[in-house]
Amino acid sequence: MKFTIKRNSFLNSLGDVQRAISGKTTIPILTGVKIVASEEGLTLTGSDSDISIESFITTGDDNADLTIERAGAIVLPARFFSEIVKKLPEDTMDIEVGMNFQTTIKSGSASYNLNGLDANSYPHLPVIDTQESFTLPTKLLKQVISQTVIAVSTHETRPILTGINMVISEGKLFAVATDSHRLSQRVVPLAMDMIDGDKTYNVVIPGKSLVELSRTIDEDVDSVEMMITENQVLFKTENMLFYSRLLEGHYPDTSRLIPDSASTEITFQAGTLLAAIDRASLLSHEGKNNVVKVAITPERVEISGNTPEVGNVKEDIAYVAVSGEPLEISFNPDYMKDALRTFAGAEIKVKFTTAVRPFIIVPTEDDQTFVQLITPVRTY
Amino acid sequence: MGKIQELSEQLANQIAAGEVIERPASVVKELIENAIDAGSTQIDIIIEESGLKKIQIIDNGFGIAPDDVVNAFKRHATSKIHSRDDLFRIRTLGFRGEALPSIASVSEILLMTSTGENQGTSISLKGGKIEEQHAHSMRKGTDITVSNLFFNTPARLKYIKSLQTELANIGDIVNRLAMSHPTIAFKLIHDGNKMLETTGNGDLKQTLAGIYGVAIAKKMLTIHSENLDFSIDGFISLPEVTRASRNYMSIMVNGRYIKNFLLNKAIVEGYRSKLMVGRFPIVAIEIKMDPLLVDVNVHPTKQEVRISKEKELMVLIQEAIHQRLSTEQLIPNAIDNLATKKRSVDQGEKPEQMRIYLDAVKESVKEQPYMPQSVENNAPSEPQASAISYPETELEELIGTTDTVVHETLAEDVAYVPSEKEKIPHRGEVITDEVNLKMPMLDYVGQMHGTYLFAQNEEGLYIIDQHAAQERIKYEYYRQKIGEVGRQLQDLLVPITLDFPNSDFIKLSEHKELLEEVGVFLEPFGQNSFLIRSHPSWFPKGQEEEILRDLIDILLESGKVNIAKFREDTAIMMSCKKSIKANHHLNDLEARTLLEDLRHTQNPFNCPHGRPVLIHYSNKDMERMFKRIQDPH
Repeated sequence: MKFTIKRNSFLNSLGDVQRAISGKTTIPILTGVKIVASEEGLTLTGSDSDISIESFITTGDDNADLTIERAGAIVLPARFFSEIVKKLPEDTMDIEVGMNFQTTIKSGSASYNLNGLDANSYPHLPVIDTQESFTLPTKLLKQVISQTVIAVSTHETRPILTGINMVISEGKLFAVATDSHRLSQRVVPLAMDMIDGDKTYNVVIPGKSLVELSRTIDEDVDSVEMMITENQVLFKTENMLFYSRLLEGHYPDTSRLIPDSASTEITFQAGTLLAAIDRASLLSHEGKNNVVKVAITPERVEISGNTPEVGNVKEDIAYVAVSGEPLEISFNPDYMKDALRTFAGAEIKVKFTTAVRPFIIVPTEDDQTFVQLITPVRTY
Repeated sequence: MGKIQELSEQLANQIAAGEVIERPASVVKELIENAIDAGSTQIDIIIEESGLKKIQIIDNGFGIAPDDVVNAFKRHATSKIHSRDDLFRIRTLGFRGEALPSIASVSEILLMTSTGENQGTSISLKGGKIEEQHAHSMRKGTDITVSNLFFNTPARLKYIKSLQTELANIGDIVNRLAMSHPTIAFKLIHDGNKMLETTGNGDLKQTLAGIYGVAIAKKMLTIHSENLDFSIDGFISLPEVTRASRNYMSIMVNGRYIKNFLLNKAIVEGYRSKLMVGRFPIVAIEIKMDPLLVDVNVHPTKQEVRISKEKELMVLIQEAIHQRLSTEQLIPNAIDNLATKKRSVDQGEKPEQMRIYLDAVKESVKEQPYMPQSVENNAPSEPQASAISYPETELEELIGTTDTVVHETLAEDVAYVPSEKEKIPHRGEVITDEVNLKMPMLDYVGQMHGTYLFAQNEEGLYIIDQHAAQERIKYEYYRQKIGEVGRQLQDLLVPITLDFPNSDFIKLSEHKELLEEVGVFLEPFGQNSFLIRSHPSWFPKGQEEEILRDLIDILLESGKVNIAKFREDTAIMMSCKKSIKANHHLNDLEARTLLEDLRHTQNPFNCPHGRPVLIHYSNKDMERMFKRIQDPH
């Protein structure tokens, strides 16, 4: 294998696939990046067996200025390889694989010899054998991920909750995540290319994979194509493939968790409320119990936090409107902060039923497609 | 009249007692040793109020002839040695002739004894003075009762610690003596309660069972090793059985319990990384050697001895333990491993984060899906509620994966067999290969909570801590890599000056070459100081002087230079950092690779910090847990 390429565009692709490469794995070859050179171009692959990312650079790409002299494949240790490429002196570089997977990287007068590994022993990427695909605008997909991933559980105690449940049916993508203390749900329309229009998909994609996906996809790319098989999901853009495993098991039924009526309703500017909660949580983090309390009367909305070890805080929150019955409710301010950040400063409605029932936060303009639900902390 | 006068015998005895008889336990020790030297096969020790009120020792030994009875209480009177030569061939525990007069001088004694041939004798003394002596009927043996100890030395009495401490000391002494003499049946009774009883049938393991309990004795391994000078026999505990104190390591030299820091160290070294930091094994080792090689005449209590060829002995012990453990399969049994402590229930009032009951939602009434329980009985009942809902899903998952796994692993089994066979012929040369065979072949079943791997074989179920497992694999890799120290030296702008006492300086000057081999060059600098102008480049920054001192201390103590020890910490740290943590999903391939790699480690049983890597539920344990077989009661 031998090729010459512009360093910058190679680094872009390498940076993408490196997201999938972890230093900690039980299979040593997965700490490497696989490079395949063919007549069409260059394919880079990284995988941690949860996610796999494949990135292409075509010979026709003007930015890359890629010349393939000899086709072939190699696996190089990702950590050293990327550092080397980053620090090479010239704009272009040559890579040549010699005997025993010895790989020479040359740029200007610098020359490295790196011990490579046999690309044939690299695990195979999953095979996606489906004709059906769904297309989503990149921005919307990123939004869906950032709005729901906050509620994903980080504990493997219930593996199924470490993922986002995505249900695709009737031209809609329905995404929900919960760690059993809070829940985030978002519904978006979807362009579908399906043979059987009535078919529904119900999968659980690991939250970690989706965070990586959202970081990997370029804002410039207009849309992302999504394909689902039994145990893998593939997100496809023009020059990148992103595979993730799916979580096995049944996602709990969350449809009935969201209350449909409210006894107390307050309208806030998300930014104002977030700032107030943030202030109140300064002290609560110090104490044993991370709790703040909100007292709602028709006249005022007061937030307070009491941490006996440190001190206490009280604040009247500015609100847009309040209606319904007086209420006192306590909750974990961190959950509230996470939820409020997903509204990006819009006007929101917080709907309570009682002090021991979950409450929901929805955007004022549209309370159907986006919901954040939080369970209160009961004091007794 | 001159100022200088000879002390009365009584006063001299009282002074000697200050050294020999420190506390009740010393009396017990001296008297039992006398009983042992008298060839007894049964010794009963009866104590009241931790020995302050009464210490009674009844043996069935030779007894004392009527004519000797009075002599026995004279200073430096003994039947145990006769000439100067005997002093260097001491085969008895006592020999100084100090114990009995010393004890007598600070207490009241009633001694009844008989040689079994003639009439017996009864003698009573108070403060060293004979009060009464007459003939007495008695079976063969000696019955000595010491009461009102320290009645005439109030200062000593004041320094006696609490009764519990004194009793513990007595118990400790009797334990050690029982261990060193498994052929003697010991019985220790305190205030009417039996504290110890050994069988005296010569089986050390049974003695250990009497002292530490049957459960622990079952987990002890025999060791044996010998060279021209020494012969070692004894029992060492499995690494899973440890104590927080070094006191459970007992070393006997020719039947005498001794304390020796270096030999203790050799024992711990023998375990290497199988022990957790600050944990020590239970060990009883009997060392037999020519009495010429050991000088017991160092201290009146004879617990400290001087051993010639001590270093050779250390190596012998260390290797014996290491060899023994490396042939053993050290997977702790899961059920025995469980701590029996109950978790304390937190009664305090505190806010509770509510949660959505995802599984309960399905069939729950719509009005109140989130109210788990009523407030009053919430604390106890809530964990139950969640406990009921979890296993269902997990079990399903587990069962689901087992089916698929079995087929694949069958194929793997076949694949493994040839490699096993290849290894066996080399067994004689390489110990590590032998070790590998100790780790059973495991079929991966599944993962729990992203932390534990389940695996099975015909012996039962194994639970593996994935982090600990990979830590062990990486540790062995780095330890080897790190041992290969380069020969680069870092020069110092300001040299390090190390000052030593005269004796160490001379010793170091002799052994300079050893340090030079590892790149430490000592340059004599004035009187009793060395100058170091450069150090090996692997020394961590800022710790140069500390490491140098440690290296030199080890050299002074053991006569060897050992770099691996310093590098070991680095290896442990690197292996920990580079390993997968808990809460990390592994797919089938990764998990199997991990288990296979673990099998090829030298010691797959402990992580470098000494925690267990895997535990084992035997088929029997499983059956018992499911009541397929009943517990024997």
